[in-house]
Amino acid sequence: MTKPQSIKSPDHERQREDFDSRAPLGKTILRRLYSYMLKCRTVEERIRLLFRQGRFSGNYFAAVGQEATEVGATMDLLAEDTIAPSHRNFVTHIMKGTPLTLMFAHIFLRKDSPDQGRCAQAHCGYAPLNIITPASTIAAQLAIGTGVALANKMQKKASVVVALSGEGSTSLGLWHESLNFAGVHHLPIVFVLENNLWAESVPARLQSAVDDFSIKAQAYGIRGITVDGNDVVAVYRASQDAIRRARGGDGPTLIECKTYRWYGHSEIDPAKYRTVEELEYWKSRDPIPAMERYLQQRGSWAESWKEELLAEFDKEIDDAIEFAEKSPYPDSEEALDHVFSFSIRERELNRKVWAPQISSSE
Amino acid sequence: MPLTTYIDAITSALREEMARDERVFIIGEDVGAMGGVFKVTKGLQEEFGSDRVIDSPLAEGIIVSSSIGAAMAGMRPVPEIQFADFIAPAMDSIVEQAAKLRYRSAGTQTCPLTVRVCYGGGTGGGLYHSQTNTSWFIQTPGLMVVAPSSPYDAKGLLKAAIRNDDPVLFFEHKKLYRSIKEEVPADDYTVPLMKAAIKRKGSDVTAISHGYMLQLTLQAAEKMKEESGAEVAVIDLRTLAPLDKDTFLESVARTSRVVVVHEANRTLGIGAEVSAIIAEEAFDCLDAPVTRVTGPDIPAIPACPPLEKFYMPSVEKIVAALKRTLDY
Repeated sequence: MTKPQSIKSPDHERQREDFDSRAPLGKTILRRLYSYMLKCRTVEERIRLLFRQGRFSGNYFAAVGQEATEVGATMDLLAEDTIAPSHRNFVTHIMKGTPLTLMFAHIFLRKDSPDQGRCAQAHCGYAPLNIITPASTIAAQLAIGTGVALANKMQKKASVVVALSGEGSTSLGLWHESLNFAGVHHLPIVFVLENNLWAESVPARLQSAVDDFSIKAQAYGIRGITVDGNDVVAVYRASQDAIRRARGGDGPTLIECKTYRWYGHSEIDPAKYRTVEELEYWKSRDPIPAMERYLQQRGSWAESWKEELLAEFDKEIDDAIEFAEKSPYPDSEEALDHVFSFSIRERELNRKVWAPQISSSE
Repeated sequence: MPLTTYIDAITSALREEMARDERVFIIGEDVGAMGGVFKVTKGLQEEFGSDRVIDSPLAEGIIVSSSIGAAMAGMRPVPEIQFADFIAPAMDSIVEQAAKLRYRSAGTQTCPLTVRVCYGGGTGGGLYHSQTNTSWFIQTPGLMVVAPSSPYDAKGLLKAAIRNDDPVLFFEHKKLYRSIKEEVPADDYTVPLMKAAIKRKGSDVTAISHGYMLQLTLQAAEKMKEESGAEVAVIDLRTLAPLDKDTFLESVARTSRVVVVHEANRTLGIGAEVSAIIAEEAFDCLDAPVTRVTGPDIPAIPACPPLEKFYMPSVEKIVAALKRTLDY
């Protein structure tokens, strides 16, 4: 069984203490963090159910178990701020405010999805809220996010970029090129590294020889911090701190969140490569009941509130699914649209046949 | 109008576009303090500052990717790839990101950037400073591929590319930089993208080319005229993708004979596509098989003179192909 890796770097330890020594978060923020985590899980479990029921074709890459990281890293971003997501960050749309109707239209690959049925479930963007449409090539989103941060700096905007990726991404050149460039140019970007211990079937120890991936930040002259990715308060505080610094012109931060994905890489992966004990250990560290216990301690919990939230989420999801299933597929020929800034339909659909000697005059 | 070199025409285009639009910026290896290895960006950092002419880390992936992100966020980046042979580390950025971004977001996220790429052989640069890899990008819908053959076109096409809303790969032949001069207006002008040019009129055979090879093709056409009186029409594709097929098909319909000349290796070079289009859409016009003069299918251009000479299409090789086609 893979135990959570220890946090060894003294620099990172010191930064952790800074967070721990602060005043506790207010109840309103705690309740919002909880509510969002519950919503993210409810939405993803419904998508998984729809998949098993064969209600949509394709696949899904759930972040169930990682909600503390998804929510803590992206709550309270401004509309002008950019999220550069990976394939496993669909629920960050909830955090940014993308309507569930559009999110489910995306799951069902319909015309009303933000990409009008082009991208598979793993790749959802939403331009009005500055969520970059991701690709399958890992770490690319960090590099593009770095470019957005460069533009923000050049345009003297106070907007920040939150770029998310898994620990597997740190093996790619573009991961390093991105952190290096962001460091050199002191860019307003936060790199959130979700170390969920598995990159598809490959364990973190085969990606890198380090225990704490955040130590890699030192190579690029930027701050690095490792937090318990199942502790939503820790993730939120580390992220808010990094976002505040980025917004204030104090450069990028790498935040490693140690967490765990409960299910396989995707819905077709039974994840036989890991042990039952490991999974059970991490399920015992489920961030949602942990937050319920914390709210109880703080005197801010009622079971009925959870019931109300779940009823509200289920209703919103039901409505979104109804909207999505009623949304049409695009017309076949729409495959030709949005290749360039101009239409190629005429060119592709209507070919001329040329005859000899159309004109003899030169 | 002043006589201007290809390289000075490109520098002027960059300077004018940067002055015209504050969103335009340059990023690449050695482009700032040094002014680029060929001096294309000479003086621009002094003029526009190090924020707009950025000496990047030695990493093509982030040169292009940071440009994509910046373009998404409203800028007009002009990244430079020092040699076409160095572009492979940026392939994910160009092919999977830049080319697909508009498509995968249904037109809601776009990246108007112009990647300047120095390409081509004939200078003894060897395997890693000579390549013509235009075909990699021609095969990637979503990218525009431009390769000017003259100073006038270089300036006008680069300005058009920078103002265009699509990602453009702009191939500059290093052999052209200082070898030819042409009258180039000091005023603002653009040359239309996706529009081929008839560089020489002719009724006997159509020669289709672009870039440095276009200059050799013009020389071959002149030689044909002198030697045999044959009238060779010369078409400059200028934009290789998306291809303006009407201009060359019109000429083929008149001449019934075609020679395609390019420096990229033969297999799936632009000549293959031009030939296929002619076969599909103008088969009845042909009086002779389409002939190609191209680089051979070897990995790159070797360094020593006889091997490089073997690779490169030349005036003699083009003349021979034109004669063969006319004699068919």
